[in-house]
Amino acid sequence: MRKFLALFLTLSLVVLSACSMEPPAWAKPDQGDKKIADLKIGLSVSTLNNPFFVSLKDGVVKEAEAKGIEVKVVDAQDDSAKQINDVEDLIQQGVDVLLINPTDSAAISTAVQSANSIGIPVITLDRSADKGEVEALVASDNVKGGEMAAEYIVEQLGEGALVAELEGVPGASATRERGTGFHNVADEKLNVVAKQAANFDRTEGLTVMENIIQANPDIKAVFAHNDEMALGAIEAINSSGRDIMVIGFDGNDDALKAIEAGQLEATVAQQPDLIGQLAVQAGLDAAQGKKVEENIPAPLKLVTIEE
Amino acid sequence: MHITMQGIYKAFGTNQVLTGVDFELKEGEVHALMGENGAGKSTMMNVLTGLHSLDQGQIFVDGKETYFKNPKEAEQAGITFIHQELNIWPEMSVLDNMFIGKEPKKAFGLVDSAKMKRLAEEQFKRLDVSLPFDKEAGSCSVGEQQMIEIAKALMTKAKVIIMDEPTAALTEREIQKLFEVIASLKKEGVSIVYISHRMEEIFAICDRITVMRDGKTVDTKPIPETSFEVVVRKMVGRELKDRFPKRNSKPGEIVLEVKNLTGKAFRDVSFSVCSGEIVGVSGLMGAGRTEIMRGIFGLDSIESGDVILNGEKVTIKNANQAVNHGIGFITEDRKDEGLVLDFSIKDNIALPSLYSFAPKGIIKEKDEKEFVDMLIKRLTVKTESAETRVGDLSGGNQQKVVIAKWIGIGPKVLILDEPTRGVDVGAKREIYQLMNELTDRGVAIIMVSSELPEVLGMSDRILVVHEGKIAGELPKETATQENIMTLATGGQ
Amino acid sequence: MKANSEVLQEKKGNLLQSVTQKLGPFLGLLILVIFVSVMNPSFLEPLNILNLLRQVSINALIAFGMTFVILTGGIDLSVGAILALSSALTAGMIVSGIDPMLAILIGALLGAIFGAVNGLLITKGKMAPFIATLATMTLFRGLTLVYTEGNPITGLGDNILFQLFGRGYFLGIPVPAVTMIVTFIVLYILLHKTPFGRQTYAIGGNEKAALISGIKVPRVKVLIYSLSGFLAALAGAILTSRLNSAQPTAGESYELDAIAAVVLGGTSLSGGKGRIFGTMIGVLIIGVLNNGLNLLGVSSFYQQVVKGIVIIIAVLLDRKKSA
Repeated sequence: MRKFLALFLTLSLVVLSACSMEPPAWAKPDQGDKKIADLKIGLSVSTLNNPFFVSLKDGVVKEAEAKGIEVKVVDAQDDSAKQINDVEDLIQQGVDVLLINPTDSAAISTAVQSANSIGIPVITLDRSADKGEVEALVASDNVKGGEMAAEYIVEQLGEGALVAELEGVPGASATRERGTGFHNVADEKLNVVAKQAANFDRTEGLTVMENIIQANPDIKAVFAHNDEMALGAIEAINSSGRDIMVIGFDGNDDALKAIEAGQLEATVAQQPDLIGQLAVQAGLDAAQGKKVEENIPAPLKLVTIEE
Repeated sequence: MHITMQGIYKAFGTNQVLTGVDFELKEGEVHALMGENGAGKSTMMNVLTGLHSLDQGQIFVDGKETYFKNPKEAEQAGITFIHQELNIWPEMSVLDNMFIGKEPKKAFGLVDSAKMKRLAEEQFKRLDVSLPFDKEAGSCSVGEQQMIEIAKALMTKAKVIIMDEPTAALTEREIQKLFEVIASLKKEGVSIVYISHRMEEIFAICDRITVMRDGKTVDTKPIPETSFEVVVRKMVGRELKDRFPKRNSKPGEIVLEVKNLTGKAFRDVSFSVCSGEIVGVSGLMGAGRTEIMRGIFGLDSIESGDVILNGEKVTIKNANQAVNHGIGFITEDRKDEGLVLDFSIKDNIALPSLYSFAPKGIIKEKDEKEFVDMLIKRLTVKTESAETRVGDLSGGNQQKVVIAKWIGIGPKVLILDEPTRGVDVGAKREIYQLMNELTDRGVAIIMVSSELPEVLGMSDRILVVHEGKIAGELPKETATQENIMTLATGGQ
Repeated sequence: MKANSEVLQEKKGNLLQSVTQKLGPFLGLLILVIFVSVMNPSFLEPLNILNLLRQVSINALIAFGMTFVILTGGIDLSVGAILALSSALTAGMIVSGIDPMLAILIGALLGAIFGAVNGLLITKGKMAPFIATLATMTLFRGLTLVYTEGNPITGLGDNILFQLFGRGYFLGIPVPAVTMIVTFIVLYILLHKTPFGRQTYAIGGNEKAALISGIKVPRVKVLIYSLSGFLAALAGAILTSRLNSAQPTAGESYELDAIAAVVLGGTSLSGGKGRIFGTMIGVLIIGVLNNGLNLLGVSSFYQQVVKGIVIIIAVLLDRKKSA
């Protein structure tokens, strides 16, 4: 029995010593020095079935073309497993810098680590990665966006107006950041009488808003953490017959139409193409060994009927 | 209608099936077509009705050279073919089956079901069939399905009807009814081509006989001018001594005994089989013979009663237990229940005894092959190799493979349900011989058969089943066709 | 009388036919590999081949199980959902402090139990496989969302064995690929060398005949659906390690990729005919398509178009062969 145990242990040791987390040396690609014009960018997008990410991709491609650099684009179709394969394929194609728009922050970690192990710099777009070394995260400045929304309400209705806030999924980074920004201004200049979560969902936005109107019939404005909830809130307000100003966030197509129709007062629009553009610039700097900011905020734009 | 076929040649790929066949069918005659399986009978009729095109030769219908492009065209001209493989749509009702593709229509293209019922009723009365029209055809017995096909053919107002083994699945009573119908059709001037392996029938109802062998017509004679022996000799091209080989029966101890067995389709069934004995089970189609066997084998559930094997009471709830107890079951429908047609001969034969080749979990292919080759040789299965696909074999060879498969488990009891259905004369005899060999080695055999000569020729004892009960037991010495039929039809 | 040469010719024809029948999918793979590597030589680089093997391992494990299921004439639509549920449960166990390797083992066994549920519904419940597994697919998918509350499960720690399982290398070969190859060998023997394998074919070829031959058809079927569930869960464990998290939507539409691989490998959906080697080839064809089209820079929308066309061509060629 003891002999068997010893044998088993030795065997396991042998097997384990044959294991490693790194690809074998003979399989690693050559990483020669390259000139800037020869650099190749790899972009992995979470999905191209959503206009937001299509604009993000277009931003990257346009900026790279302007600089005369080649871009390879892969689409994960919202499947985190496929995204890891995609990133591996990009590495295989010899890209010099990786721009990744992760489907999921945790799931992308291993892909970032494989890039790290070969020494390819990684820039993430819109979402971050939990593990691995990321040179920079390029994302909308959600805090600033929240502030912009609050300031607009102050501008339109004056200080001390009664307002409500529709929050996104509790704990999500967008909810936290947009809320923080909004309260930075609103806590001093406005009177936030109601604040409830509607989970970024249009239907929930409708029902939650109905409840808020019921409890606080006097509110003059509502800030929703995204356009979907804002559009739901408009339905509730219309059927109540009151005049309440609604401000959304994101600037999606439905929201822009609602602004044109005079239903939605304003939305804090993200600029995905700008995210793409900034990411290319950061990526090139990183590939040339320059230091880049860890967090690169992409500016937002307040869209109203005047625009 | 008068049909002449002259010098017909037909090949499938490199396989020459017809090599200069001549055939003549006169108006209002019943013309028997005989020959061993693979002699080309069905092919010749398929050439006539346009299913296959011919390579060489001429066909004259009423003196005019005529070639049908497809069976539908032949049918419109008045030639109907009742195939051996039944064209039944199992999920559709009996009535719908009879009118597939030719439903009578009324206004707006709706199906005229009243007319359908009236027409079908007429034919069923003529054939003395009492089947509910709305019954699912798939749940009818093979015999009933055959009657549906025949009724369907009669409705077409055909001038020529080709019947390929029409009685294979029919009971004696149904056969008698069919013969009456054939006689009346003949009076109306309808010609009938009657393909069969059953000598008695042919000599009873046919006017002339054409014998085929190896794709050629060997002989055409009026029935009165020929005899049983002559026909068999011409068919096989050699003398066939006796139809049934001699049996030396020495029954031993009782091996299997059933007591008061009751199931859905039978009740209070008691009988026993001894080692080395063949017990024939006769009765009309639908009397419950097959159901009793399925009950013993564990395929259908049993409500009450005992199965006693070698003196010990056993419970058999599924086929696996039956096989483990050494019982083999050769079912009546070999294509549907007996064989995996896409499997090789080897894989089919080895199927019930796989574990005996795999003492350590992995099949020892050498042992398996030796075993299978031995059985192929012993049963004289005609094949080049054990790897041949079973679906490509003739009916007789397929049946031998089914039997080989069960001999392989070293059975104590072997249940054979219609063991020679659709099997040619030569192969039949080989199967009978095999049954004798098995009983010589102490195997107990229960043989269910609708062919009375077979039951009389092979059994040591005969059980007659009537409406789910054993109507009587006849020893070999006193059994005759008459007293079996009396018991089978409920007489005393 | 047939001339001897003619007979010989016929035999040669049969031989050629059987060779193309057996090697058909393999030739397809070869043509595909040559095409991709001519268009982009980096396809053949060692790292890419290793990547490819790792990328296909998940679909391979699922497709192996699917091969057994389809050979019996059944189908298993629930594999993707079983993958997700067992992956979530495994991750949950790891987070709660159970040793990761033990968690993987328990997760795989749970997968087998989920598969057995399918088998019992089909045999005891007499449900059509399509319906039974469609129902359990929805059920398991729902349970995954209930268990994970729709969020990924993260924080799986840094146990080195667990990380090796999905991401590591053994003697330079990715561990998932090693798992795939070992599983393939075991299943190949099971399918082609044991009574169990022969019974699998027999059930697909003629279930009634199999039953009457004394095969315990219900038992074999339950075992096969359990095997399918077990392999899906094993694939799930690899995915969990690769993603370093359990995703509630993991494995979505994986059942379709697996079915496609089985069909590309020449296995008949009506059961009884096919080989696991063919499935391996089918898996590689899909893998090379995914990887190669990425390398060639084909847009993801066109990639789907190409995959669909390849499946159609493969099945049409298969029809022609058997006709």
